[in-house]
Amino acid sequence: MKRWRLQPARDLGLPLGERLRSLKRESGLIDRTARLFWWSAVRVYFAVAHRLSVKGREHLPTKPPFVVVANHASHLDAMVLAAAMPPRLWNCVFPIAAGDTFFETPVTAAFAAGLLNALPMWRRNCGSHAMRELRERLVGEPCGYILFPEGTRSRTGVMASFKPGLGMIVAETDVPVVPVYIHGAHEAAPPGRRLPRPRRIELRVGPALRFADQSNERPGWRNIAGRAEDAVRALAGR
Amino acid sequence: MSDSTLDRLFGFRNAFDDPVTAWLTGITVAILLVAPAIFVPLLRIKSVDAAGRSEIRKRYLSWLVITPMLILPVLAGAAATIIGVAILSLACYREYARATGLFRERAISATIVVGIGFVTFAVLDHWYGLFVAMGPLAVAAIAIIALAADRPEGYIQRVALGTLGFLLFGVCLAHIGYMANDPGYRPIVLMLLLTVEANDIFAFLSGKAFGRRKLAPNTSPNKTFGGALGALVLTTILTAAIGHFLFRGTPLDGWPQLIGLGILISGVGQCGDLMFSSIKRDLGIKDIGATIPGHGGLLDRFDSLILVAPAVFHYVAYFKGFGFDETTRIITGG
Repeated sequence: MKRWRLQPARDLGLPLGERLRSLKRESGLIDRTARLFWWSAVRVYFAVAHRLSVKGREHLPTKPPFVVVANHASHLDAMVLAAAMPPRLWNCVFPIAAGDTFFETPVTAAFAAGLLNALPMWRRNCGSHAMRELRERLVGEPCGYILFPEGTRSRTGVMASFKPGLGMIVAETDVPVVPVYIHGAHEAAPPGRRLPRPRRIELRVGPALRFADQSNERPGWRNIAGRAEDAVRALAGR
Repeated sequence: MSDSTLDRLFGFRNAFDDPVTAWLTGITVAILLVAPAIFVPLLRIKSVDAAGRSEIRKRYLSWLVITPMLILPVLAGAAATIIGVAILSLACYREYARATGLFRERAISATIVVGIGFVTFAVLDHWYGLFVAMGPLAVAAIAIIALAADRPEGYIQRVALGTLGFLLFGVCLAHIGYMANDPGYRPIVLMLLLTVEANDIFAFLSGKAFGRRKLAPNTSPNKTFGGALGALVLTTILTAAIGHFLFRGTPLDGWPQLIGLGILISGVGQCGDLMFSSIKRDLGIKDIGATIPGHGGLLDRFDSLILVAPAVFHYVAYFKGFGFDETTRIITGG
């Protein structure tokens, strides 16, 4: 007789606050149902208020694992990217969000983890350990990440260079990295603005990049960041 | 719906009509208030370290929250009791599903949640036929839903985990709710809660006092024969004493029947405890969840209650029935 494979939730036994902040968080029926309603509503919002259009929709990922990388100049960015995904991916896509912005207070942490499905990245000490955990989850589960490799929101709307952290997650794996340029989100909701203005937003999606040939070391990481940045910049100039 | 049915469902004003209800509520509140007066000096004498002391304080504070959450719905009326049991069922199932990994099988989990909904409806409706039918029907539904994935690998495990989960939390626990279809349910449910929790405490205390031989060292290293026997004696005395007043004038009011009830609550309660110890050992985890500070998960606290509920329900029903004189199928009619 075969032995049963019993695998408790990876975040089992964590108190609620820690669970929300855990990179091992796994969601159940309650979170999933809430998220279905939330992303449907967000989708309608973007369609109505921002006339969202997606160029290159055929390049959007269809199944995990994947990493979506984009420029970051507004709080709307993660929302518009997740909402534009096919609904069956809503529960396996995790925006990687700044821990110090989204996971400090219990209320924002509950919102970020419960509805956005965000995973925290602590900018003060985003060491190799957190990166390794993200990498293991990406391939092992598998799941998808929304990542802003600039590391912060651009205050001016001008894109900064990509940090090598992206490379630490995808080097030597066959995970497709999908470059996206978000046009118009900065005009709609620049940093510092409380409520967004109704401005058109356009997503420009490019063909996936793969980095199986890049070594999982510093030169490889830099290469990956550079190539991903070039791909996003190419979409911006179009 | 007749006035008597509405009174049973929502009649919080009748909460203390039966003096035993008032007594049991009073005793519980008194124990909670007096407890610190006993354990605080005791901790001083035994010189427990700071970690142990904060652990005990956390446990006590948790009891201060849990106890009203258990007692108030029972006092408020049958509707609140039944909804309360349904919430407890869902919360227990959630912990079980996360601990066993069954929560990743969303279709099965959703089936079980819907099944618990049906059971709750059957209980509210006082429709015993549907209540009984939900066991086999839900098992069939789980087996069928699990086919949809077309993934035979692990099929038996998924269906078995789902079936066990539904029967334990959907069916067994729901028997507490079904008791509320009897107008005199309040003291019975309160006695059940009080004696089952007292049984845990008796087992712990008598284990400390004269526990030597281990009961099941592989399952639960802290349990002893002394503790089990002590709990059996003390819980039986407590149950028989309460039951004597509670069941006055019914066929249950005889010492053999009452002692039988006590042995049932204590014995089955301890088995429930051992059952969840086995489940935790098998999974390789210490606590099933982190819902209650100081206790672990809900299931770490209410493990003894789950198997006792149907046993006591049918034992009492054998002698005096539950809600035989009440209108049945109050919502669906017929």
